Amino acid sequence: MAILEVDGLSHRFSDGAVGIEDIQLTVREGGFTVLAGPNGSGKSTFLRHLNGLLTPTSGDVRVQGVSVREDPRRARQLVGMVFQDADSQIVGETVYDDVAFGPENLMLDRQEIHQRVMGALVALGMSDMAGQRTHLLSGGEKRRLAIAGILAMGSEVIVLDEPFSNLDYPGVRQVLAAILDLHARGRTILLTTHDLEKAIAHADRLLLMEKGRIVADGPPDAVLSKTEPLGVRRPCAVRWGRPVESWLS
Amino acid sequence: MAELTAFRYHPGASILHRVDPRFKLGCLIIASMGALNGDAAALGLWSIASAALFAEMRMPLMTVARELRYFALLILLVVLARTLTAAGEPLIRFWGVALTRQGLIEGALAGWRLGLVVMLGLLFMAATRTWQVKSAVESLLKPVPFIPHKRIAAMMGLLLRFIPLILSTARDTADAQRARGIENRRNPVFRLIKLAVPLLRKTFLDADRLATAMDARCYTESRSTQPLFARGGDWAFLGAVCGLSFLALSLPCF
Ligand SMILES: Nc1ncnc2c1ncn2[C@@H]1O[C@H](COP(=O)(O)OP(=O)(O)O)[C@@H](O)[C@H]1O
Ligand SMILES: [Mg+2]
Repeated sequence: MAILEVDGLSHRFSDGAVGIEDIQLTVREGGFTVLAGPNGSGKSTFLRHLNGLLTPTSGDVRVQGVSVREDPRRARQLVGMVFQDADSQIVGETVYDDVAFGPENLMLDRQEIHQRVMGALVALGMSDMAGQRTHLLSGGEKRRLAIAGILAMGSEVIVLDEPFSNLDYPGVRQVLAAILDLHARGRTILLTTHDLEKAIAHADRLLLMEKGRIVADGPPDAVLSKTEPLGVRRPCAVRWGRPVESWLS
Repeated sequence: MAELTAFRYHPGASILHRVDPRFKLGCLIIASMGALNGDAAALGLWSIASAALFAEMRMPLMTVARELRYFALLILLVVLARTLTAAGEPLIRFWGVALTRQGLIEGALAGWRLGLVVMLGLLFMAATRTWQVKSAVESLLKPVPFIPHKRIAAMMGLLLRFIPLILSTARDTADAQRARGIENRRNPVFRLIKLAVPLLRKTFLDADRLATAMDARCYTESRSTQPLFARGGDWAFLGAVCGLSFLALSLPCF
């Protein structure tokens, strides 16, 4: 079943710059999709339409059949978003407070909030960090905190914008393990990257963007050969004709 | 960032940690007024009380002392200014400045008052989480008409959240400019402008990103806040502080 339906989506910025152009896409529930493309190809602009942070110039996005335009609040709850800059999305002073931010906005009662916060922290292996102050966390921990924050809102789709940028090797592995765990529990994953190496081994679909358009779409094996003319580096293993290994193995 | 300031929450379970934040804020106001208006006897009383609370909280004394060294400098300046400007019978003279008995006493009292207020503020901040400070301010403002207490509380929370971020950006920017030799420029206005422009740009960009991230998590002004419950112990604490301030007022001057 399709959880996201994107129909003829275009966005022009107020200065006339083309953000995205006529995007047509459906994402099935439980899928793991990687969206790749060089800097400035419109990945972040596209993601911001999925929960109504940007309003399209034309076209429409539907989440579980309901238009984002009609009910942005519902879209924001169902489509949780992890932003590229880990620091400027942390709202709370402690790990617990930050994860509670979303559920508090949903006007849940205290008991329910507590359960959700603890559930999300356990899911990301951070339950012993509840009282820790957020600006002392490592890069990988900050990203996991951001994921916990949207998990506590009950998001079905988890959208991550460049989740591996600025992370060291252990950080990448931590975040990747967290993403795979959520995928295994049935969440739909959509992540962007300009570095395919780290996530592609786990994806079941690869989209390539260029100048605001989706120019290739299909299973990773089929699409990987088309990446380099578009300015996205092909994983090493593919050059040698071998399957891409997971960063976790 | 860890060394940023002593004025932050220290997790713990002391008496002060357990008092309802509204009562704590009220007591902070009462005690600060008492300290600012009190004479030596009153100051002594308030000092003993706060030292007791401080000890019970088991804050790392040396760390706090180190973090407060800039305040100590400020207090010293105030003491000096007071000491050297008060009129009275001179004890000694040097370089045309007279050191008077009254001056010494006044300087000492002024320093003590200021130090005590800093100490009270520290106790309050160390034992109260940011959201509790926010809720306390919110509920104390609630009875005041025409004040959007929810909005003020939300803004305060964001401010507290943003100050460390701005300070660390300022430090990074200053370091980067030092690395490129800004210290060779003598003109302080030039240096200030060179620091302020990138700092402000980055701060506004961060603010914009934070706002987007908050929107993405369904931010509304009418969110469920953590409820505050006053218990018997809170009233007892408030009673004790009020009792202290009566005692301080009625102590004989000397
Ligand atoms: N607020 C904006 N105003 C004008 N142009 C913008 C704005 N945000 C992004 N763009 C432009 O839109 C294009 C796509 O940007 P973006 O979605 O951030 O790309 P990506 O995330 O793939 O790097 C870029 O050419 C960028 O310069
Ligand atoms: Mg981007």
